[in-house]
Amino acid sequence: MNPEDLKYHKEHTWVRVSENKATVGITNHAQEALGDIVYIDLPEPEGTAEANTEFSEIESTKATSPVIAPVSGTIVEVNEELSDSPETINEDPYGKGWIAVLEMSNKAELDDLMDASAYEKYVEEETK
Amino acid sequence: MRLAIIGAGPGGYVAAIKAAQLGARVSVIEDTEVGGTCLNRGCIPTKALLASTEALAKARELEKFGIELEGEPVANLEKIMARKDKVVGVQVKGIRGLFKSWGVELVEGRGTLLSPTEVEVEKKDGTRETVTADKVIIATGSRPARIPAFPFDGTRILSSDDALQLREIPKSMIIVGAGVIGSEWACIFRELGAEITMVEMLPRAVSTEDEEISALLAREFKKKKIKLLTGVGVESVNVTDGGVEAILPDGRTLSAEKMLVSIGRALNSEGIGLENVGVKTGERGEIVVDESLRTSVDGIYAIGDVIGGMLLAHKASTEGIVAARNACGDEEARMDYSTVPAAIFTSPEIASVGLREHRAEAKGFKVNTGHFQFRGLGKAHAMGEIAGFIKLVADRETDKLLGAHIIGPHAADLIHEAALAIRAGLTIKDIASTIHAHPTLSEGIMEAAEDVHGTAIHLPKKQ
Repeated sequence: MNPEDLKYHKEHTWVRVSENKATVGITNHAQEALGDIVYIDLPEPEGTAEANTEFSEIESTKATSPVIAPVSGTIVEVNEELSDSPETINEDPYGKGWIAVLEMSNKAELDDLMDASAYEKYVEEETK
Repeated sequence: MRLAIIGAGPGGYVAAIKAAQLGARVSVIEDTEVGGTCLNRGCIPTKALLASTEALAKARELEKFGIELEGEPVANLEKIMARKDKVVGVQVKGIRGLFKSWGVELVEGRGTLLSPTEVEVEKKDGTRETVTADKVIIATGSRPARIPAFPFDGTRILSSDDALQLREIPKSMIIVGAGVIGSEWACIFRELGAEITMVEMLPRAVSTEDEEISALLAREFKKKKIKLLTGVGVESVNVTDGGVEAILPDGRTLSAEKMLVSIGRALNSEGIGLENVGVKTGERGEIVVDESLRTSVDGIYAIGDVIGGMLLAHKASTEGIVAARNACGDEEARMDYSTVPAAIFTSPEIASVGLREHRAEAKGFKVNTGHFQFRGLGKAHAMGEIAGFIKLVADRETDKLLGAHIIGPHAADLIHEAALAIRAGLTIKDIASTIHAHPTLSEGIMEAAEDVHGTAIHLPKKQ
């Protein structure tokens, strides 16, 4: 299930907030829809991400899909482990499968995100 | 009719055989080996090497295919190069055999025009001989460009010619220039285990291709851990004890064991006596020709790399046929450059024909595009090669195919369906309604054609 302590973006990414830092990944629903992930084009450390725009791209055996940043900020850390084992995203999307940590530039953007139960309803609606 | 051809590369040797077929008495003058750059220092030897590195790549992932292998596969460059030499040798023999069969005389030595009907040949033993002919075709080709900023020494700082002579795998290599040649070599040496850093002055690799193709190649480079720096030139080069250093304009220093410089090619229009007969050349040194490949001097034709344009073996060969026909009296023969396919043997392969999307728009077409990813094909999954896509560019008004751009497995073989379609003026509907065998990679062309109209079967509905 989707962890209660995270915030969710409608493009199926999640945020774990710790003070000014946001850890970002894709949701369980997203990894299920993508199928086996074979590659992630990780963002450049020290680059920037803008909310609602692509900041990384994932290739699965089915498709290539943009990863949409849920919030804006500077990329302070990137999960380099994923470059050699992208399947970690399938195995543990909310844990070891995190993609990057952002230093948020506009915390107000968090208000636009959903909580776990709202996201679950949203996915249910979308997949109807 | 007596015809002299200077140069026996893919332009010259094809012209020679065609002219012989048309009844000419042909002498071909060649100072190195028949087959030219293509066969001896370009297309064929690099593809032989690539076949070895592809075998190595496959061996490294045998487990994925359910094959167990004890230990790691080991690349032996000495043996790989020996195989390459053998492949080249067989082809060289083949051309020599064809010359014999068609009665083409091969004069070995360096040819210089003395007059529009005389070519002096300086032979390897120093003796000279004059070949007289009614007409002459110049097919002297090109060579790796050498600029003083890169002190080529054949051991640390290499041209593509030198790279073919390496007998040990370098630990690391800086490749200057991420065009066709640099990109192919990057894939070969990376697979062999060298750490590769590419430095490209232009904003993207393989800049002659569609932007989406360059972007995907950049990502495939990233997957292979080939470092690609774009929009940056090399300011200076130092040869050090351990290798070579490249200093970039921002002060960064790259160091590696070897440097391969692939920044373009220089045309072989000097030292062949053009000034003796008054054949005109252009800014790059290219011999100026008309669409029948006639130079500014009556009875002298020029073909292949030495006339500039796309430096491609198959372009040279086609020009060879057109020039030979003209020289033999068929003045209707003309070049049509609208559908010259281009192939780049990176992994994955790249191929294109016709117009790029932006080029088509710039020419005033209203453009429709269709895309299909190889990962949407069962055959690609079965082969274990799912990276890449097919992009078709069509004219919205007439539905005619204008261009095709492919990156993915066997792209260079797949492109010809599109080349034929463009040449024949076929529409997207023609392609989409042609039954394509299943399961094949060619189905991707049919699906991409369907996608132009948003009706690909194996793609979700467009939003």
